Amino acid sequence: MNDILAHGIGGSKDLPIPTELAVAGAVAALTISFTVLAVAWRSPRYDAATSGRPAPAWLARAVDAPAFLVVTRTLGFAVFAFAAMAAVLGEDRLTNPIFGIFYVWWWVGLVPLSLLLGPVYKALSPVRTINAAFARISGSDPDAGVFTYPERLGYWPAAVGLFAFVWLELVYPYSTELGPVRLWCAAYVAVMLIGGALFGSTFYARADPFEVYSTLVGKLSVWGRRDPDGENLLVVRSPLANLDTVDVRPGLVGVGAVLFGSTAFDSFKDSSVWIRFIQNSETISSSRTLVDVANNLALLSFCVGVGLVFAAGTMLTAVGPETRRRDLPNQFGHSIVPIIIGYIVAHYLTYLVEYGQQTLIQVSDPFSNGSNWFGTADWKPSYWFTYHPTLLATIKVVAVIVGHVVGVVAAHERAVRLLPKKHQLTGQLPLLVAMIAFTVGGLLLLFSA
Amino acid sequence: MPRGLRAATALAAVLVMLTSCGDEEPADGGSDSDPVTIEVTFENGTVDPSGERVEVAVGQRVDLVVTADTGGEIHVHSKPEQELEYAEGTTTLPLTIDKPGVVDVESHDLDQVIVQLEVE
Repeated sequence: MNDILAHGIGGSKDLPIPTELAVAGAVAALTISFTVLAVAWRSPRYDAATSGRPAPAWLARAVDAPAFLVVTRTLGFAVFAFAAMAAVLGEDRLTNPIFGIFYVWWWVGLVPLSLLLGPVYKALSPVRTINAAFARISGSDPDAGVFTYPERLGYWPAAVGLFAFVWLELVYPYSTELGPVRLWCAAYVAVMLIGGALFGSTFYARADPFEVYSTLVGKLSVWGRRDPDGENLLVVRSPLANLDTVDVRPGLVGVGAVLFGSTAFDSFKDSSVWIRFIQNSETISSSRTLVDVANNLALLSFCVGVGLVFAAGTMLTAVGPETRRRDLPNQFGHSIVPIIIGYIVAHYLTYLVEYGQQTLIQVSDPFSNGSNWFGTADWKPSYWFTYHPTLLATIKVVAVIVGHVVGVVAAHERAVRLLPKKHQLTGQLPLLVAMIAFTVGGLLLLFSA
Repeated sequence: MPRGLRAATALAAVLVMLTSCGDEEPADGGSDSDPVTIEVTFENGTVDPSGERVEVAVGQRVDLVVTADTGGEIHVHSKPEQELEYAEGTTTLPLTIDKPGVVDVESHDLDQVIVQLEVE
């Protein structure tokens, strides 16, 4: 199928990872999992109220200064305004930088930025900026809305928003035409502004797909906040301790399932197996609609499948009287985040590096008229990673395995905190099996890509 | 970090390094070998082959020998992309891919992947 469409921008894909690497990765995942279970700590180690060291005073002062937010929001808004300009006034062709800004910088770039710097989207968010401007004009408080955000909604709206994004990117056949991208972005901004007006800024923290994604990934950075006496102290923590501070809310597993399921589907749909299935099945290939239906169903199945496997893995344990079994999937939800990130690094690394550069070149000519606004128009992207396939494959497998280790340890920590003593070991087994399934499944997809 | 965990991480790293050292041989030797010929047939709105994998070397010449009942265009999703036109009858379209990767060769008229070139 049109992967020029599906991937935002065309071009070749990475080679499959070699068999030896895939097998080694799978063996490592298995070994590490059971080693963690056997030797890791038996009582909880991380406590959000005490973990981490205070960041250097000058840094905390700089980051907490009102001017800092003004700078980051101005930056975020400038990029947003540029993208909107290219989307509205630019031409409907692939050299329009809007596609790269939307599918590569925004969607994929968010991950490394958040890993390095913490919850970046919150600091950049153009929709928070617009909401604050509206509040200022009307003399109200941007943090307060007309209603209180319903607790039971949790992160579900963000999961739906993320699904809407991956649907556009991966299965919608016209995803690299200007009209649909423009419409999607307009709908995003509209929903965010209405939500902000109704529920205040809580809405952005729970329902903005990009902010929720970025904040979640930011929990794997070293930057955290500690709030014992309402002082909201900037701290430096180990990523594991930081990950343990993810806000547990309904929909957390939904967010993880959409992120992981969709990325896995993206690998799967480019595999020879799926392409041949779709094209050589008499019934499906006979109509464009059926091809779309098959792709939609497959995307949905991957996301739902990941969610169900994870939920089952967390719930198949005995619990103490004070814990409700159905709360367990979200209680363990943070532990799938590192597995997702490892896989996303593997899946998107070349794409981000190569099309990220291409986008940097294209932003100099937003209207496709040969101009060179920022002096980058005649740069040439470097295809260094593409020329080093063995190194690339090694990085991919290492990323997947590191993600797996962090995930398993995070789940272990939560298990020793939540589960009754005598079920701590056996109670972890189903989740461990689920995680091994995700990791080995991810490696299998990278192997058969 | 407890010792066991560190040991496991080290083990994983060693495993990965061992295996990645094993297949470091660059496949450049094959670049100048004979061209690969792929027969492509367009007939009544279908194309054969459909979605198949073909392994080729970086820089190796690939000849797409197209037999078609109507003319059309083939898109090659390399970096950068290439577009090849063919006419009714038999046309030979020479092609080389200069970077490793998986390159889809598609008929955009039919919206189908003809072959995926696995370029190593």
